[in-house]
Amino acid sequence: MAVVHDDIGRRRFLSQAVMGFGMLFGIGTLSFRFLQFLLPTEARRESETVLIGAESRIPLGEAVPMDLGGRKILVLRTEEGVAAFSRRCTDLGCLVSWNKERSQFICPCHQGTFDRTGLNIAGPPPRPLDRLQIVKRGEQLYVNIQAT
Amino acid sequence: MASTVSENVKKEQDEKSWVDYIQKDLPQHLDWWPYTLGALPLTLFGLLVGTGLLLTFYYVPSPERAYESVDQITNEIYLGWFVRGLHKTSVDLMILFLFFHVIRVFITRAYRTPGELKWVSGSIVLFVTLAMGFTGYSLIFDNVSYWGMTVVTNMIGTLPVIGTPLLHLLRGGEEVSGVTLLRLYDLHTKLLPVLLGGLVLGHVVIVRLLGFAEVKGSRGFHSFYPEHTLKMGAIAAGLLLLIVNIVMIFPPLLGPAANVQEVASDVSPPWYFSAPFMWITLLPGPLALWSLLGFAGLFVVYPFLDRVLDERGWPMEIVNALVAAAVVSAMAGLMYLDTLM
Repeated sequence: MAVVHDDIGRRRFLSQAVMGFGMLFGIGTLSFRFLQFLLPTEARRESETVLIGAESRIPLGEAVPMDLGGRKILVLRTEEGVAAFSRRCTDLGCLVSWNKERSQFICPCHQGTFDRTGLNIAGPPPRPLDRLQIVKRGEQLYVNIQAT
Repeated sequence: MASTVSENVKKEQDEKSWVDYIQKDLPQHLDWWPYTLGALPLTLFGLLVGTGLLLTFYYVPSPERAYESVDQITNEIYLGWFVRGLHKTSVDLMILFLFFHVIRVFITRAYRTPGELKWVSGSIVLFVTLAMGFTGYSLIFDNVSYWGMTVVTNMIGTLPVIGTPLLHLLRGGEEVSGVTLLRLYDLHTKLLPVLLGGLVLGHVVIVRLLGFAEVKGSRGFHSFYPEHTLKMGAIAAGLLLLIVNIVMIFPPLLGPAANVQEVASDVSPPWYFSAPFMWITLLPGPLALWSLLGFAGLFVVYPFLDRVLDERGWPMEIVNALVAAAVVSAMAGLMYLDTLM
């Protein structure tokens, strides 16, 4: 009876398929775990407000670079007030510096240029500089570091 | 009597020398200089493995010690400057000769059917070699290294879907750190050299299996051993002489250590990345990156593009000559712009 032969063939196929998938699943899980081993766990960052000093200590027209726990920022004081920008260039992540004469932020890596409001005006950057919120309590300035 | 003859034949077969396994008559044109350009990077690869191994005995892949150890190799250790110089010069020449080899193959259209796989495998060798160049100069941990790492990993991070995981995998975190340096060190000294060795071997085997391209006017043949081997040996010896001279005249230099708080005024990469560096400086970010990726993709599949255009009656010899001239002058132009900045 042909049906019996078919049945044996099907059984063998099914058992091989189950074993095959089992093995693939095992290897896949293992590889995934190894990939997780290589990928770092991301440290959760809390939103916090950091004291950066008195407004009068920042000269007019100057931008003071600061490193707040690895977050590099520039605090700029102009006639319009004080503003804080992330120094990370929105092009490929180099650090921008303040050029007082041109009144612009310049990234030396690929000549990205931003104006005093952080707007990208020349070079490769696709968007303005990230801006951080400044809170004023009395004479003291605080900068609000967002959770990332 | 008859049995003795067959026994002798059998004996002779058993006593096959190792040369017989790689012995194969080569077409006459392989004797012409432009057709020996592929063997030069192979020789240099050997030199790079040797000098690279020596350098690992002193190099320390940590952000605090990396620059210091390169400084020590260059200025304190006996012949350290020479070993580092050999390594550095060999990379420059390997990439230069790879470019020349690519240009020769491109202009002569040596990738035509059945040689497509020769081109594809070779182009992967080129890309991995460039990756070796990048991971290599990152290890020095001067300004060019640090900001190069930042920029290149960021470029990889802009890829859709795989970009962010790949960025974290390469950096070992969100930011460029000591883990990043260690990972690039591992790539440069372990994963990529093994991969490159395998790819180079594969490329040579594929070229031998698929055969050399037919060249007009090349009729005769010569044997692989001793004629061709001797010629290659002479070229390798001449190359070594040239490299030693270059190292003596231009000993390896070391820029200032990486300053992670401020980008130095000039962070131009080595000459072989100069053209893409200017390209991403001149064009808006995403456009520059996508056009570079597109160019690389087009480069890999060019033999198939050639076949399609050839079938439509395009004069591909002329097209290729024009394309090669345009690409080489564009690269030279961009490199010149880089020297101006």
